[in-house]
Parts: sequence; C-alpha cells; structure tokens
Amino acid sequence: MMQGDSGRGGAAVGALAVLFLTTGLPNRLTAQDSQYGVQGLGTPGRWESVRARSTGGAFAPFDLTSPLMEASLADAGRLVAGAMEGASYRRSELAGTATSLRETRFPLMGLAGRVFGHFAVSGGFTTYLDRSWDVTIRDTVVLRGTPQPYTDEIASDGGVADLRLAAATRLRPWLAVGAGVHLLSGSTRVSATRRFDDSTSYQRLQQSDEVSYDGFGLSGSLLLDLTRALRLAAWARSDDRLRARVGSVVTAETDLPNMIGGGVRLAPSPSARLAAAVAWRSWSDAGPGSFNTLSWSAGMEVGSGLGPFRLGVRGGQLPFGPGATAPTEFGIAAGTGRAFAEGRGIIDIGLEHLRRSGGGLKERVWTFLLGLTIRP
Amino acid sequence: MRPGRILWLAAVVGAAACVERATAPAVCPAYCPNGSLTVVDTLLSGAVSRDSAYRGYVPAHRAGVMLAAALPGIDSRAIFALAPLGVRVQLGTDTTTFPIVGVDSLRLFLSITRRDTAAHNLTLALYRLPHSLDSTTTFADLAGAFTDSLAKTVNIDSLLARSNGKDTVTGDSVAVDTTKRVAVVMKLDSSQVPYTSADSGRLALGIRVGADSLASIALVVDTIRWFVKVDSIHGSDTTLVHKLYARGITFRSFVIDPPPAPFGSMLAVGGVPSARSILRLSVPRAILDSSQIIRGTLILVPAVPASGAPADSFKIEAHTVLADFGAKSPLVFDATRTDTALIRIGATDTLSIEITNLLQFWASDTLAPHTVMLRSQAEGANLAEIRFFSSATPLSAPRLRLTYAPRFPFGLR
Repeated sequence: MMQGDSGRGGAAVGALAVLFLTTGLPNRLTAQDSQYGVQGLGTPGRWESVRARSTGGAFAPFDLTSPLMEASLADAGRLVAGAMEGASYRRSELAGTATSLRETRFPLMGLAGRVFGHFAVSGGFTTYLDRSWDVTIRDTVVLRGTPQPYTDEIASDGGVADLRLAAATRLRPWLAVGAGVHLLSGSTRVSATRRFDDSTSYQRLQQSDEVSYDGFGLSGSLLLDLTRALRLAAWARSDDRLRARVGSVVTAETDLPNMIGGGVRLAPSPSARLAAAVAWRSWSDAGPGSFNTLSWSAGMEVGSGLGPFRLGVRGGQLPFGPGATAPTEFGIAAGTGRAFAEGRGIIDIGLEHLRRSGGGLKERVWTFLLGLTIRP
Repeated sequence: MRPGRILWLAAVVGAAACVERATAPAVCPAYCPNGSLTVVDTLLSGAVSRDSAYRGYVPAHRAGVMLAAALPGIDSRAIFALAPLGVRVQLGTDTTTFPIVGVDSLRLFLSITRRDTAAHNLTLALYRLPHSLDSTTTFADLAGAFTDSLAKTVNIDSLLARSNGKDTVTGDSVAVDTTKRVAVVMKLDSSQVPYTSADSGRLALGIRVGADSLASIALVVDTIRWFVKVDSIHGSDTTLVHKLYARGITFRSFVIDPPPAPFGSMLAVGGVPSARSILRLSVPRAILDSSQIIRGTLILVPAVPASGAPADSFKIEAHTVLADFGAKSPLVFDATRTDTALIRIGATDTLSIEITNLLQFWASDTLAPHTVMLRSQAEGANLAEIRFFSSATPLSAPRLRLTYAPRFPFGLR
C-alpha cells in the first residue's frame, strides 16, 4: 500500500472529497452497462475497487476496499472509507450499426474498520446487477388496414445493489477468515414509449412503472499466508432468488448463482506485487439465455508511496447473451494512485479497456476510474 | 496545494465528469427486452346506446347572424325590427324638442359576413314587414309581406363592379374589407320606407336573397340612419331643419321554409333551431382502466345526405359532459377534451369522428359520465344539418372503434 507524502493535513482530504462528490451528482449507483444485459438479468457488477480494477481484478481478493472477499478486512488497521466512480465510453456494433454510448456510474461505497480487537467489520454497497439501458426499435404494424410505422423506445433505469455487512478476523497469523451477508435491493424505472409516424391519428403510447428487486445472499472467504511473500485466497458465495415486484405483486423470481473463486498474490519485494485470480459463477441457474461463467485475471503493482503503477488483464465470459454460447470478454487495465494528507486520503485512478463479443454483437469499452479512500 | 497538483486534480475530475447517453438501436429479438408493447384494434358494435337528438339549443332569434337563402328546398329570409325614431327630436344641446314633420331618406347599414363566392348576380331585396315581429313569427306569417311590400332591390355584384362600389344615382354602395366581409349601404327614400308618426317611426324590414344559383348569405344589420325634416319655427324663421338620427336593431331573426322535419329515430346535428345528439358509450372497463387508448373513433352512418347551402360545410364537435342530464347536460368546453369532424353538404359517406381525447379523459376521470354530445361548431350560424342512424337501426347503428395498448409487462426477468 502507499505511504503518505508530506503533511498537508485534513484540509486536503476534505478538498478531495468535495471534488469527488461534486464531479457529478450520482444519478445512478450502478456499474458499467452492456447490451448483453438487456435481455438477461442485467450486467453484473465487478465488486472491485479502483485499485483492484486497475490490475484487471487480480488484486480484488486481497484488497480490503474491494467487496469481493471478507477475509481481507482482517488487515484493516483503522477506519477506512472508500468510494469510486467510473465514466465509460462504449461503442456497440450490432447488425452493421455502430452506436456510441456513454455513462457515469458510482458502483462502490463502503466503510471498514476494526472493532473488538481482532475483529474487523465492513458495511457498504456495490452493484450487483446494472439494469440501465435504453433501446429503440423501429417496426411497422398494420392498424385499420394500413401499415403504420412506429418507433418504440424501451428504457430501464436503475439496478440491484448488493448491501453487504461483513466481518473478518485473523485466526492465526497466517490465516484470516471472513463472512458476509448480502441484502440485494434495488429498483428500476421502466418506461415503454411508442411513437407512430402518423402522430395525428395515433397518439403517443407511453407507459412506465417502477420495478423493485430484493434477494439475499451469504458469503465466506479465507486468506492463507503460505510464506511472507505468498498469499492464497479463496471465497464462495451463494445467493438465493431475485424477486421482481411491481407494486406488491411478485412478477418474476429468478435463481441467482453460486460462486466460488480464488487467488494468489506474490510479493517478492515491498515494491512489487503480482496477483492472479479466478472465479466461477453458476449464472445458468437464472434460466434460458444464461450461461455459467469462468473469469480470470492477472495483474501487478509496482512501486509504492507517491505513485504506484498498476497493470492487469482479465478475461472470461458474460452470463447473458442470445447465442448458444456465452459472450466473451477480454480487457486490459492500468492505473496509479496518490496519497495525500499524510496518507489519510488516497486518490486512485485507472483506465480500463474491454472488448466483448458474441451473438453478433461487439462492444468496445473505455472506462476511466476514479476512487477515493479516506482514513481519518 | 501546489499549482501542479491542482492541475493534476483538475484533469482527473474532468475525465471523470458525468456523461450519459444510453439510447441504442436494438435488433430483435436477440437484443430486445423481454416484453414489448402490443396494440389492439377492435370494433365495438354495441358500445353506443340510449342515443337521441334534441332541437332548440340556438333558435334563429339568438343566432349570431341572420341567414338568408334561396336554394332548392330551402328558403330562408332575414327579418329585423329597428328602434323607433320618435315624433319629436332635440336639435341643440338643450332639452327642447321639435316635431318631426317628415323624412328625406334613410340609410341602412348591413354586412354580409358569409357568402358563396360562386354565386352570381347576388341581390338583396328589402321588404317592409309588419311591426309585430317576434320569436314566434313564422315564414307563413310573413308570406304576404314578402310578396307585396318590396321596398328596394340591390344587386351586390353590380355594385361591386362599379367604381368604388358606389351607385351615385341610387346612393347605394358596397365595400369589401380585409376579412371578406361585404359592407352594404342601402339608401331608401321616404316613399320606399315612409315615416309614420303614428308608429313613432317604427320600422320592421325583411331581406330576401337571390342569385343565379347558390344564393345563401349570412348577414348582420348594423344600424339605420334617418335624415329627417324638423319643424323648428322660431319667431319669423320658418326654415325646416334637416338632421341625421341613428337607430339600432331591437330584434333580429330569420324564418325558414320548410321548417325542420321531426327526427324520427334518427340522430341530428346542426340546422336552425340547432339540434344536438347525445350518445352514451359503454367502453369495457378492462380497456378503459388497464389499457392506454391511442385512438378512438366514433363511426356514424348518415341516414340522409347532409343538407344546407353547398358552401356551408361545417364541423361537428364531440363534447363530453360534466353530468348527464339528457338534453340539458352541461358540456365540457375544453379544447383538449373536444374532437371535431368536417361535414360536407350532400355527403352520405360514413362519418368518423376521432374521440381519442374524450376517451383518454374518461380514463383519467373515472367519475365522468361516458356521454358524448354532438353539436355543430357554429350553432345557428348556418342552415346545414346532418342526420345519422341511431342505435334503433342496428345494421347502421353508431359504432366505436378503439385502438389501445394493454399494459406493458413490467417486471419480467
């Protein structure tokens, strides 16, 4: 981890916090979207901080500000609060048509600290599923004997958040364990609009409603230090069902996946760290059009103090897609960070590029990541 | 903080600034959402019931204009009474009055507000009528006067062809203003419109219109100006004073032959006195409450061709009502809750009136009566009338065609 630079006091931390929060009001606490999530449950969140995401996600199992694993909280020395923002620029190519999309998301916020001696607890939220999308459909319908061209716009705005309460402790100097409960909660504002070309005869059709979601999950994890330089991580999580409600009526119940994953981190020197991680998720439980996914990542972090450099790659599958096989994803990421106010404030930045393909769709995504960690 | 650090922070903040553009074209079904909008179009044959027609909303004497027409099957004549001149008048500023001993002439100012420009040799014939005009006066009551009491005839087309629209011999003139309104001044001498002191100079006049064809006008009488002779003998001065006095209208109407026929089992809209039709609609609750209506059309089958002057194409308005009190139901005069349809004279085509606005209003106000009142947009302003088959004639009964969208399936996976 980074060390603080020359003292500037809490004022600098405050200034950074203000800057971060005024960059743009958080209209959505969701993650990065994808057209692959339109017909499925959505686009799963990353559960990674900017630091971990800048390494392709390889450091997520070992990063206490990433809500992937609980056992890493055992390394929390004092109160830590973190949040991140991501601004994505996405190019989607489908059926010969390219569309440029962009969105800003605030997918992560959390608080962690040590209580009762060896125990560390954490609370916060991250994106479980992003369900924000807006599609337009051009078609024709025969009404009263006459073909009537129209344009439909169906939009969903919102997502499902993972509210996590986690605890961890170090049972042995070489073994840390953790567990967490996850409340899945969220809502989407769905609107469906049809505009007929003949707007004189046929009025605009517009319907909207709010769909709320809830679910529950449990997770557990452990960290095992084989040597001072080599650390292993393992985690598992099980979520039950995601219930969709319109008003008080349950309109859909979808099984959520079980997940297992692991990672390894090698720190040959204090200023160089390498990590790799893998995760498997049984998203096919969610029904037709869903696939189990296996994702991997590898990354490194070199340097410390004023400016560490992070680099990573990731790959794997996406859980939802129209074809017989799961869409695939490959990405590279890089980033750095900077500590302020004697290490009480850390700002991390990262840049991620993703390439997704499958089912006739190609997506290219550039995401700028900005994270703020405060240690009062 | 140092300037370099501020710049670095500014760059970071700028790069992370909020951006949003989420709309993308979809390719269905692979990349379309589960669930879609569906539209249903249905014809409800029995949706209209308890429909009937009423007449008398705007009688001739309350119409905004007088209608004069001489068309095949329609003869309409304008009638009006003028305020009496009196037998004595003031000459100066004091209250002394002097007797009227005679009339030089008078000028009648009237305006033709609507005419068929295809009519040629448009003439106005002015008749003296009995002073007993009122709202009960009928065409037959005045048949004699309109036969033997002609005061003057003016050919409007001839006047328009003259320089400045004036006939310097007769003193008549016409002028057309920017609104196509034809202002007519008719000069009458004392033989054409004699002053009778026993009647205090009371006048009642009537106007018939004529033309080669298509004789139909709407007119208003603005005023009349008397040029009178007053005996103002003061001492040895025996000069008769010539003064001008204006008088307005006290009553105006028009009489029509033949009078409107009974409705029978038909619905009717328009005519004079104006007729309205009331229709009660039964829209299934499942459509009105749970769907969004995007088009609603009331379909009416004319029982006879629309009658009236050929130029009198008119608009029918479909209003909803505040409360259903039958013929006296108060209408909702709100442009957003009113739909219209154009009727052409002589047409027998099935009439479709879009009533989408009314249906959407009923969907938003569940207490509103599902009642439609049909009326002419310009009630009493023209002679046009149309009659439809009512629900008493099942084969040609009014029908309702609805295009609506059931509720979008929100909350699918």
